[in-house]
Amino acid sequence: MFEDFLSIDTNTIVLILINTLILFLAIKHFLFGRVNKVLEQRQSDVEKIYSDADGAMKHAKDLEKSYQGMMSEAKNESAEIVKNATRKAQQRSDEIIETAKKEATGVLARANNEIERERLKTMSEMKTQVSDLAVMMAEKIIQKEINRDEHEALINDFIENAGDDLWQEK
Amino acid sequence: MHGSTEVNVTGPKISFEVFGIKVTETVVISWIVMAIIIGLILFLTHNMSLKKPGKRQIIAEWIVTTFNNLVKDSMGKRNVHYAPYMTTIFMFSIFGSLISLIGLRPVTGDYNTTLAWALITFIMIQVCKIKNDGFIGYLKGFTQPIKLLTPLNIISEIATPVSMSFRHFGNIASGIVITQLLYYALTAASNAIGLSFPVFAVAVPSVLSVYFDLFTGFMQAFIFTMLSMAYIGATYPEEENS
Repeated sequence: MFEDFLSIDTNTIVLILINTLILFLAIKHFLFGRVNKVLEQRQSDVEKIYSDADGAMKHAKDLEKSYQGMMSEAKNESAEIVKNATRKAQQRSDEIIETAKKEATGVLARANNEIERERLKTMSEMKTQVSDLAVMMAEKIIQKEINRDEHEALINDFIENAGDDLWQEK
Repeated sequence: MHGSTEVNVTGPKISFEVFGIKVTETVVISWIVMAIIIGLILFLTHNMSLKKPGKRQIIAEWIVTTFNNLVKDSMGKRNVHYAPYMTTIFMFSIFGSLISLIGLRPVTGDYNTTLAWALITFIMIQVCKIKNDGFIGYLKGFTQPIKLLTPLNIISEIATPVSMSFRHFGNIASGIVITQLLYYALTAASNAIGLSFPVFAVAVPSVLSVYFDLFTGFMQAFIFTMLSMAYIGATYPEEENS
């Protein structure tokens, strides 16, 4: 039994509509659902990879910058340290030289004082001896004891006047 | 019927009847077509991988991307959700026509099939128009640009599904008729020169079926889908950004 070659049959139309709906659901779910999921997943993965790469790049740049900063800082610091050390060493050497100079001056002054004192002492000893010698010589010459206490002032005066300049000049 | 001198082109055979519903050859073959398409889809999308797509997955992705882009281009980016429906019509139409290559009656060679699809498109057009313009705006649309044209507008609205369904049906049905005529002619020619076996009827029809089945099948499926997209897309106002 055949239908007409061209006929409108509601049974067939309804059945074809149902078939189309079923096929539509199958294609929507199995083909588009699955494939779109994969495509979207891949898209988001690619975006994530790109943003990760950008992030890593930015991070690396930041690190580079901070390292450069640290490097220059370290350089400055080391230069500062060397400068300080040099300055300190200079100061220290100056101090040492100053101290040495002072000490040397002190030693010299002390030596001079010593010499002066020694000279005065020697001179006064000589005076005593010369006066004794004079008294003794006078005794010998006049054969008579001179009263030491009587003539002491005279003798001393003589030595003082005659001898001082003489000793002094020598 | 071999050797018959009478050419007899019939409509689809009534395969069986359940609860008073006549199920024709068209419907039965459409089930086969659906089984083929669903089987193909399951085969293509089976075991999909994110990083290493196989050949099958590449084909599946190509189909989806192509239809998404086609719908985006002709209907705008926001209407990309029509892509699965357009793919359904396209595949159903193509496989429904190409089924004739294995000797079955093409599903699209039955006017009821193409009419059913054209009705879906028609209803979609009307629904989209009402959705976009409102019911009053939809009715007013028939009186544009002048009231005198109202009957013509209504006719042109109805002509859309009629022309779409008849175009598709006519192309495929003519293929059936010509193939049948040719088959009879070649059989008659074989008989005329005294061959008991219709030699001409073996190879010659296959060459012609390349045009009538393959070319026309693709062409009509493409035209039907593109027209559906164009008509439905035209009901939406112009997109601002694309």
